Amino acid sequence: MKILVCMKQVPQKDAPLKLNEAGTWIREDVSYEVNEPDAYALEEALRQKEKHGGEVVVVTAGPARAQQVLREALAKGADRAIHLVDDSFATIDPVSTARAIAAAIESESFDVVLTGLQSDDFGFAQTGVLLAELLGWPHGTIIIGIEKTETGLRLKRELEAGHYQWMDIPLPCVLTIQSGINKLRYATLIGIKQARNKPVKQMTLADVADKLGTNLQTIERLYIPVKQKKTEMLQGSSAEIAKKLVDKLRNEARVI
Amino acid sequence: MIHFRTPIEGVERPRMEADVVIVGGGPAGMACALRLAQLIDAHNAAHPDAALSKENIYLLEKSREAGQHCLSGALLDPRSMRELLPSFEKEAPIDGECTKESIYYLTRTGKRRFPFTPPPMRDHGNYVISINKFVKWMAEKVEAAGITVFTGFAASEVLFDGDAVIGVQTDDKGIDKNGQPKANFEPGYNLHAKVTVFCEGARGSCTKQLVERYRLEDPKHAQVYGVGIKELWEIPTGRIAKGEIIYTLGYPLTTKEYGGAWIYGMRDSLLSVGYVTGLDYEDPRTDPHHAFQSFKEHPVLRGILKDGKMIRYGAKSLPYGGWNSMPRLFGHGWMLAGDSAGFLNSQRLKGIHLAIKSGMLAAETAFDALLAGDASAPELATYKARVDASWIREELYPVRNFHQAFEHGLWQGMAKAGLQHVMGGANLGPDSKAHPGYENMRHVNALNPFREGRMQFLGAAKGDRKLTFDKLTDVYYSGTRHEDDQPTHLVIADLSICNDRCTKEFGNPCQFFCPAAVYEMVEEAGEKSSAPEKKLHISFANCVHCKTCDIQDPYQIITWVPPEGGGGPNYDGM
Ligand SMILES: Cc1cc2nc3c(=O)[nH]c(=O)nc-3n(C[C@H](O)[C@H](O)[C@H](O)COP(=O)(O)OP(=O)(O)OC[C@H]3O[C@@H](n4cnc5c(N)ncnc54)[C@H](O)[C@@H]3O)c2cc1C
Ligand code: SF4
Repeated sequence: MKILVCMKQVPQKDAPLKLNEAGTWIREDVSYEVNEPDAYALEEALRQKEKHGGEVVVVTAGPARAQQVLREALAKGADRAIHLVDDSFATIDPVSTARAIAAAIESESFDVVLTGLQSDDFGFAQTGVLLAELLGWPHGTIIIGIEKTETGLRLKRELEAGHYQWMDIPLPCVLTIQSGINKLRYATLIGIKQARNKPVKQMTLADVADKLGTNLQTIERLYIPVKQKKTEMLQGSSAEIAKKLVDKLRNEARVI
Repeated sequence: MIHFRTPIEGVERPRMEADVVIVGGGPAGMACALRLAQLIDAHNAAHPDAALSKENIYLLEKSREAGQHCLSGALLDPRSMRELLPSFEKEAPIDGECTKESIYYLTRTGKRRFPFTPPPMRDHGNYVISINKFVKWMAEKVEAAGITVFTGFAASEVLFDGDAVIGVQTDDKGIDKNGQPKANFEPGYNLHAKVTVFCEGARGSCTKQLVERYRLEDPKHAQVYGVGIKELWEIPTGRIAKGEIIYTLGYPLTTKEYGGAWIYGMRDSLLSVGYVTGLDYEDPRTDPHHAFQSFKEHPVLRGILKDGKMIRYGAKSLPYGGWNSMPRLFGHGWMLAGDSAGFLNSQRLKGIHLAIKSGMLAAETAFDALLAGDASAPELATYKARVDASWIREELYPVRNFHQAFEHGLWQGMAKAGLQHVMGGANLGPDSKAHPGYENMRHVNALNPFREGRMQFLGAAKGDRKLTFDKLTDVYYSGTRHEDDQPTHLVIADLSICNDRCTKEFGNPCQFFCPAAVYEMVEEAGEKSSAPEKKLHISFANCVHCKTCDIQDPYQIITWVPPEGGGGPNYDGM
């Protein structure tokens, strides 16, 4: 199987975040890491390759710093990487990201594209699905199990409240992977050393610009909600207070 | 049952061969790697037919990314950087040049300004930097020079062959809290090297193995340490300018303890503030984190920090002992550089430039050893000769008795230090001796019950969450993360001492000297009777890798070993 894994670099989960001056996104001086479900997607791709042979290619659309994600993936066993490098990739909408990735792999023929379920920063959960649409392939979301069959793949999807769904999907397809589908491996010294010689193809915004279309979604303003805590003391006899309380709960708080 | 980390046994370990392995990627390790690359490049240009390879030179760093475990003031004396990269000022991350300096002596509510700045404290021409950013930048240089930096990998054991060091073993990954391999277990490598350079910072864990095995320290001049607690603050502009620096002595410590504070203006609205407490105090309830919190409550600090916001926290130990306390620097197959070897000028609170210079000298020695095909002790002895012939000795030798002068308190210390200054570093008698600081600690019931003015730093600080913080809140701001399901990396030789003898004698000082609330005495149902007993709990995941416990535990039964690589604090911007 020839597998593409789409990976993203996101701010570290528990990093203290600060808004940028313009109030449109967070300040850049935080630590970054691999988006968690993407790490699981990579692990799944490596396992499938180990079982069935093939190739694992990783792609990221992001600023120069995002190369770290690719390096880590190569160290863990991915064969090569594609880096769509531009600062704007950090903030463009999911359609544009999907279009950029589709354009970057135009000349290749993958059997499976894996993405994480969603990104830890924007949480759109759309890039993978949109990519499937652009490629004209079927897709499966929230995948927690993959078996190869004669005709394609047998998938296990996570539904609500402990329910699962099994489904068959033909190849090629796009799957969005849920965290916890497998156990992540560690990079090894030898893996890291070998990764230095693995190919990383750099592509610029200009290389894919004509495929992007207009960016339909931007963040206008980001703000930290102001705490609104109001304490009101009810006066009167117990009966009166009880009555006022019921009134407030019913008509103001609308909880009863 | 607490399971302590030890290398897992009975597994086959992958082996890798190296020419040089550098353990630790702080200023010393990075400078060593970079200098080695420069020397090899120059050699290869001159002798293309006898080229040396950089392929098998590796640097191991336990933090997930370079610089994340580095914490310092920091004021950089640029001397060694100018030698390493003459144009570094143009490209390195430097916050500002020191423009204004003052020293105060603080009383509980007042301050006295020293009428002049003593020459060793003069800092004009030094740079305010974030060591975290600086080291990150150095790491990029090292990688660009063709040397592999393995971040997220600790050296956990030194590999010996008879009398020689033949490399290190890296940390086992994927071990659960009971010491059993998990599904993704990855055994540590045996990384064999012709030359291993230890640049682990203060109280290095491999360095400690060497110091013990080879008795590298002179018992008459034991290394002594301090622990620095630091916070970064965003403050309204106009209070402390970029490049302005202030040192303080005095409050909250009394004249009996050794220590002091720094305040460095990094940007007009960003402040590095911290407090160093000498790890040779008498009262086991002394809490260096509390001392720092009380320091911030002094009117001078209140004024500076008012309406500001604390954005980062960290703690790290530093070696104070100076020239006479330095261990032997080399042996068969190994060298020590930076804080691991005590290259620090405690009079100036500066070690970065010395770490860099010692790393460079170790690189020059390693390069010669590679060329000669000989890394035996006589060959590596040239490292010590290089140090002695360099400005390191010129800087450190004259201040060799500085810290020791303070052994009997601040006033005597100031008088002695003043005398030493006039006498080129000498005492009126022979050079002062130094014994390990933990030996000063006294039993709780041997102390004056009135606490003699120490209230403000005994026991844990409560914190108001605006100006002052409790330890757990501060730890949150250190960005510390560890894999939870792993053995405890604070290895305690005998827990019964903690739960019984130490409780009686010292009142479990680990609860106080650890700046990250790792150690806690928790009531548990007793084993023999139903009466609850207090037992030591170790929240190792909070550990900020400062090494204070390894240094200051009065029974010397705590051994800090590296946890699974990648875990630890995240000192972004520190
Ligand atoms: C609070 C404080 C304030 C200071 N202020 C100043 C100042 O203003 N100016 C100044 O010049 N100096 C200052 N110093 C001293 C200065 O920070 C040190 O001298 C300098 O950082 C030493 O550099 P190093 O490379 O030897 O060690 P470190 O900077 O400690 O770096 C050691 C590195 O090795 C890694 N490591 C350790 N063990 C292992 C292992 N087993 N395996 C893998 N990696 C490992 C660590 O993670 C770390 O990254 C200060 C120190 C402290 C603690
Ligand atoms: S456990 Fe030891 S090394 Fe870790 S933070 Fe506490 S004192 Fe420092």
